[in-house]
Amino acid sequence: MTIFQCSDTLDGILCGVYDAWMSRLGHGNAALELEGTGNLKMFTQYRKVEESREKTDKVIAAIYRKAGRQAYEMVFRASLSQEEDKADKIYRFLIYALNCGGRVTDMLQIPAVYEIFRINRAVGNEAHLLIEFARFSETKDKVLVSMVGPKNDVTILMAPHFADRLSGENWIIYDEGRKKGIVHKADEGWMVVRTGDDAWKEQLVRGTDQEKFADLWRTFHKSIAIEERRNYVCQRGHLPLRFRPYMTEFSSRD
Amino acid sequence: MLIQEQMGLAEKLTILSDAAKYDVSCTSSGVDRGGKKGMLGNAVSAGLCHSFGADGRCISLLKILFTNQCVYDCRYCINRRSNDVARASFTPDEVCTLTMEFYRRNYIEGLFLSSGILHSPDYTMDLIYQTLKKLRTQYRFNGYIHVKAIPGADPVLIEHVGLLADRMSVNLELPTAQGLKSLAPSKSRSRILAPMRQIQRGIQAGKAELIPRQRGARFVPAGQSTQMIVGATPESDYHMIKVAEALYHNYDLRRVFYSAFVRVNDDSCLPVLPGGPPLLREHRLYQADWLLRFYGFGADELLTEDRPHFNVLLDPKCDWALRHLDVFPVEINRADYSTLLRVPGIGVKSARRIAAARKGAVLDFADLKKLGVVLKRAVYFITCGGRMMYPIKVDERFITSQLVGEERRKVWDIRSTDSYQQISMFDDGWLSPQPTPEDVHGAVFGQI
Repeated sequence: MTIFQCSDTLDGILCGVYDAWMSRLGHGNAALELEGTGNLKMFTQYRKVEESREKTDKVIAAIYRKAGRQAYEMVFRASLSQEEDKADKIYRFLIYALNCGGRVTDMLQIPAVYEIFRINRAVGNEAHLLIEFARFSETKDKVLVSMVGPKNDVTILMAPHFADRLSGENWIIYDEGRKKGIVHKADEGWMVVRTGDDAWKEQLVRGTDQEKFADLWRTFHKSIAIEERRNYVCQRGHLPLRFRPYMTEFSSRD
Repeated sequence: MLIQEQMGLAEKLTILSDAAKYDVSCTSSGVDRGGKKGMLGNAVSAGLCHSFGADGRCISLLKILFTNQCVYDCRYCINRRSNDVARASFTPDEVCTLTMEFYRRNYIEGLFLSSGILHSPDYTMDLIYQTLKKLRTQYRFNGYIHVKAIPGADPVLIEHVGLLADRMSVNLELPTAQGLKSLAPSKSRSRILAPMRQIQRGIQAGKAELIPRQRGARFVPAGQSTQMIVGATPESDYHMIKVAEALYHNYDLRRVFYSAFVRVNDDSCLPVLPGGPPLLREHRLYQADWLLRFYGFGADELLTEDRPHFNVLLDPKCDWALRHLDVFPVEINRADYSTLLRVPGIGVKSARRIAAARKGAVLDFADLKKLGVVLKRAVYFITCGGRMMYPIKVDERFITSQLVGEERRKVWDIRSTDSYQQISMFDDGWLSPQPTPEDVHGAVFGQI
């Protein structure tokens, strides 16, 4: 068995797929693993994946040509997942995708396809929930700031929605766990900014001053519930506790 | 009645959102509209729920009344004229500021504006119109707006409001004219249905126009909805579901909402509900509503005049399937889409996935689980490759007891003694007496 170690990015995984495929070892003898995950295995060779733009482009072009846009989107979303063995799952999926063509996305009875479908659903659902549950607060210089702490790396999936909706605003969505953010400039585009430390976060939190509307929102949130129908279990089902520390209505004034 | 002149925004928001909370519809669905340069907001067709209240209901829109002053005296309503509650009224600017600032912070998906009747329906409708006009043109709001059409208001006003809003609704309140007469004497069925018909015609006219209106000026693009109160008057579930079906067919409604009656006023005309609001009944009505809209069921298939109420222990789809065991089990790999939809445990999504997946393979039970089928319910009604998952007696009584579950079986027996019974050792009903030796002789020699 030969394990190809790749970095935890879409580029890294796709280059890994390229290397594993082109190594001519046979799919059964090659596997992909993210760097720094899993334990070392016996009777196994490890190879480090060299990333290059050329390899990535070749793989993407092949997916588009043979399996279509939908399959590529599934691979893209799967690469944002938190799961450690996603790289190998993407590899197994692509073996089918490049052989079966576009209809592979419907073939959920195949375990490799089902795994990617399942990861996709998890990533997509979290992105959808965060589009709903992200809360912005306004800094003194009229920048809207939102802190999120998602399990999967979904901020990039949230960006197009907010770029369309708040096109005339300056805003930042900051992923606390991964220390990266989406920065949007009014009436222009957005980009991903990676920061190495917490300095950003401290600055963003300190600068906000939004108590007036946050208080009004808490007031509204409280008075809109019908006391006779109180149902916290139902509320938790729809709005899991892990989102609440970031939400205005569930964080008391400090 | 107490009207305070000087009242803070927070206080007004408390009073007017509290007064609006009994209106159930809070969806932001039905229209897809991209963002526009210079305006704030867009709309997503599937709708987005931004938060959930302590009652587990979704909070999608800023649901407020413009004012809770009202000239009507409807028995069930907290804002009726004869109630002594704090009254307040927003100004159009306050509503606009709240909407814009909440929307920017991603608290809400848009505005839901309703109102008590101040002075007259025309006056109130005009206030709503002024507010929406300001919100759309001056504040440049491009998000979702749901607004109430006030019964009795001038059709011209309704048309103007309809061009600014995404969804309009008129509340039917009670399913029959008689119920309406007893609890809401100042409202009449015909006055409620008139604006509903007007909105329907407006939507149809907009669709039929050869040259579409300029972008953003479509009439009520997200359609109209209505709401009925469950349990305030003695109408049966059959009544409610028949009315809902008629509304979907004749008035092209997008949604009918059901609101379990909450006794907010101590009134001799209102029923006393010791068990709280009839939430289970409301739940069953919503389940049936989905069956009407997405599963191709008719109201008469679900309930009949003789069986006017939904089963307490089984959802309407299981209940239907148990009464039609002759069409089951269905073969997953061959049954057409509409048949699949009628199987309990298979929904719209999983039926679509099955239809797509079986093109390339023969599906088995393990695959169905991956496709999202709830096997716990579906297993009694399906075959894969001609076989059931395990040998199952296709018998109404057996399957019912399996579906209903252990702890609920007793309740089932109490409530429907004539159709199903708990089997028991000492129950003569199920054990036919042993034939006597004389009977056996008679049968052998043909002397019966």
